Amino acid sequence: MAEPAYTVASDSETTGEGKSSSAFPEIAIGIDIGTSQCSVAIWNGSQVELLKNTRNQKLMRSYVTFKDEIPSGGVSNQLSHEHEMLSGAAIFNMKRLIGRVDTDPVVHASKNLPFLVQTLDIGVRPFIAALVNNVWRSTTPEEVLAIFLVELRIMAEIQLKRPIRNVVLSIPVSLSRFQLTRIERACAMAGLHVLRLMPEPTAVALLYAQQQQQMIHDNMGSGSEKIALVFNMGAGYCDVVVTATAGGVSQIKALAGSATGGEDLLQNMMRHLLPNSEKLFSSHSINEIKSMGLLRVATQDAIHKLSFQESVQIDVDLGNGTRICKVVNREEFEEVNQKIFEKCESVTIQCLHDAKVEIDDLTDVIVVGGCSYIPKIRNLVKSVCKREELYKGMNPLEAAVCGAALEGAVASGISDPFGSLDLLTIQATALGIGIRANGNTLVPIIPRNTTMPARKELIFTTVHDSQTDVLIVVYEGEAEKAEDNHLLGYFKIMGIPPAPKGVPEINVCMDIDASNVLRVLAGVILPGSQQPVVPVMEVRMPTVDDGHGWCAEALHRAYGSTLDVVTVQKKI
Amino acid sequence: MRCGYGLAAVPGSDARFFTLDTSFLRLRRTVNPTRIQFGSFKIKAKIDEARKEMSFYELLGIPETGTLPEIKQAYKQLARKYHPDVSPPDRVEEYTEWFIRVQEAYETLSDPRTRALYDKDLALGIHLAFSTRRRYQYDEELEERSEWRNRWQSQLSELKRRSMNRDAGGNMSWGARMRRQRDEFSKEQ
Repeated sequence: MAEPAYTVASDSETTGEGKSSSAFPEIAIGIDIGTSQCSVAIWNGSQVELLKNTRNQKLMRSYVTFKDEIPSGGVSNQLSHEHEMLSGAAIFNMKRLIGRVDTDPVVHASKNLPFLVQTLDIGVRPFIAALVNNVWRSTTPEEVLAIFLVELRIMAEIQLKRPIRNVVLSIPVSLSRFQLTRIERACAMAGLHVLRLMPEPTAVALLYAQQQQQMIHDNMGSGSEKIALVFNMGAGYCDVVVTATAGGVSQIKALAGSATGGEDLLQNMMRHLLPNSEKLFSSHSINEIKSMGLLRVATQDAIHKLSFQESVQIDVDLGNGTRICKVVNREEFEEVNQKIFEKCESVTIQCLHDAKVEIDDLTDVIVVGGCSYIPKIRNLVKSVCKREELYKGMNPLEAAVCGAALEGAVASGISDPFGSLDLLTIQATALGIGIRANGNTLVPIIPRNTTMPARKELIFTTVHDSQTDVLIVVYEGEAEKAEDNHLLGYFKIMGIPPAPKGVPEINVCMDIDASNVLRVLAGVILPGSQQPVVPVMEVRMPTVDDGHGWCAEALHRAYGSTLDVVTVQKKI
Repeated sequence: MRCGYGLAAVPGSDARFFTLDTSFLRLRRTVNPTRIQFGSFKIKAKIDEARKEMSFYELLGIPETGTLPEIKQAYKQLARKYHPDVSPPDRVEEYTEWFIRVQEAYETLSDPRTRALYDKDLALGIHLAFSTRRRYQYDEELEERSEWRNRWQSQLSELKRRSMNRDAGGNMSWGARMRRQRDEFSKEQ
């Protein structure tokens, strides 16, 4: 295809009007913050272009080093050696840690990273610190992410010669809304406005939609609907979507995800090589961190090699009198990580099931992300989808950021004379949202895989005679027991006029707008009245802050079932 | 910005397309269509005006004999028009309302089971409250297990609804209801 003879002036200083169709609106950049690596891309007027840092890298390590007074991240920082990242001064894996409480298994799995992750196991945010001049200096995942994003922003601003404000960020599917608010907060700290948060595989699906559209333009493809499964696995998360694509519209049929990634493969492998490693490194002294770092680098290296060869020789001196000298073959690696691979498989199967798609209907199967090089991963997706071949048209490490950049251009209102941006993603919710009712169960109001923007309502009623107050507790998740889900917030409706139980109609409505903002509305009406008997409550969620595990327990202790609600049975 | 909701300058940020309107709280057994009515009043009124007695088929712009590929195609075309990512910034709120309706129509008609139920309602002229009625069948599995019972119950509930409409709806037309709502709304202002 010939390059168009002009480009959109990306350095125009137009600000404020955002999505106006006049002049040159600001094109949002796409950012893929990986657990391990990150990248930035932008629609340059004719195609998506990945931005490079001063060292000419398109993929940059996601970490921040705290040294003296000024922290520096993997965008600008030049590492003399991989080991420097493992000296205790560098914080990484922030995408796995952000917005999680200290009872979360993912936080616990992060305790043997070469920096300090301390938990009290009471449902508060974990203590995270970097070692600076033999002092553990505390920080937070938000702060680390913000420092890193500032570096990315500056890098992009220098190259594009304009201020950057709007971004489309790709995110893992399984993050809770609480975690998303933390990511948005980190962006705000970095001076960035989040135009869209886009689940990674849906970004890949958009890129696929564009490629299919391109083929039609080039008279190579048919215009019929194509159904694709996208499997995306990086260091932190494993995510799957099923998309139906036609005419540049990518309609997300179902999403599924899990905080299972390369980091877990690595840790299992480290445990396999040095069975008591967690105990050995539990005090996080400088020497322990160094040994831990050496083991980590050697193991990572071995896993990478096992993607391309059958066996690998590991020989590493941990400097504390322990030397690991071992040949590991691929079967061993797959056996050690059997549970992880099973999890990946079940996430894929669940997604296919939720999408109500037969595997024969799949046009393409796309496997991307850092773990897509692992033969076992490719094979398991192939076997679930009964395919011989995987889709070849994408760079597995760049697909997500390219999709995010496309979304950035589309959502900024940019159009392309060649029709390359005649695209649309119709997103769906990854997790169900509902309220606690019928005792201690989660009654979903917006089920998972509901198309967004969405609005759903459900009618509840009181459980006691003359119950004047009801407590609406909003959760997100798929577990049946309410408290096993993520608590998003709660509020009370008060002053309901006395009525027998089951009579007041408590209408709970939830809506999600295009930018994924959740609003919960609740109102009460009594038979015979045309107007709500108390003012309607309108609450933007999430409202809870730290310690949400506590809140639910405290509410239960304080109120028991006195303020409960139940669903209205199907009788009129 | 005609409707005074023009926060759309920074798209998708604080441009809430829903402003509160309590009229969604009408009792579900009064008159149809009983459904949630958010959105600013003017917009809702405008859409209701346009929607009036629109069936899902009319909403999608396809004949009642339309095939599944036709439904899909119509849906995707309308999505490209109404989805907030691509709609004109000053009409995001209104178009989002439309998008949600189109989505509802598509979801109903693209599933042979729900389409059959809807067609039945349509033939009886009671289709306007279709989704509301289905709403409180929150348990999808249960719904699948007892399809026959749903059919039976929905028919029964429709009979009741119709007999009630004769009472409640008899003295109040759709237009009268809208006018009253408008009055109430302006009073609140």
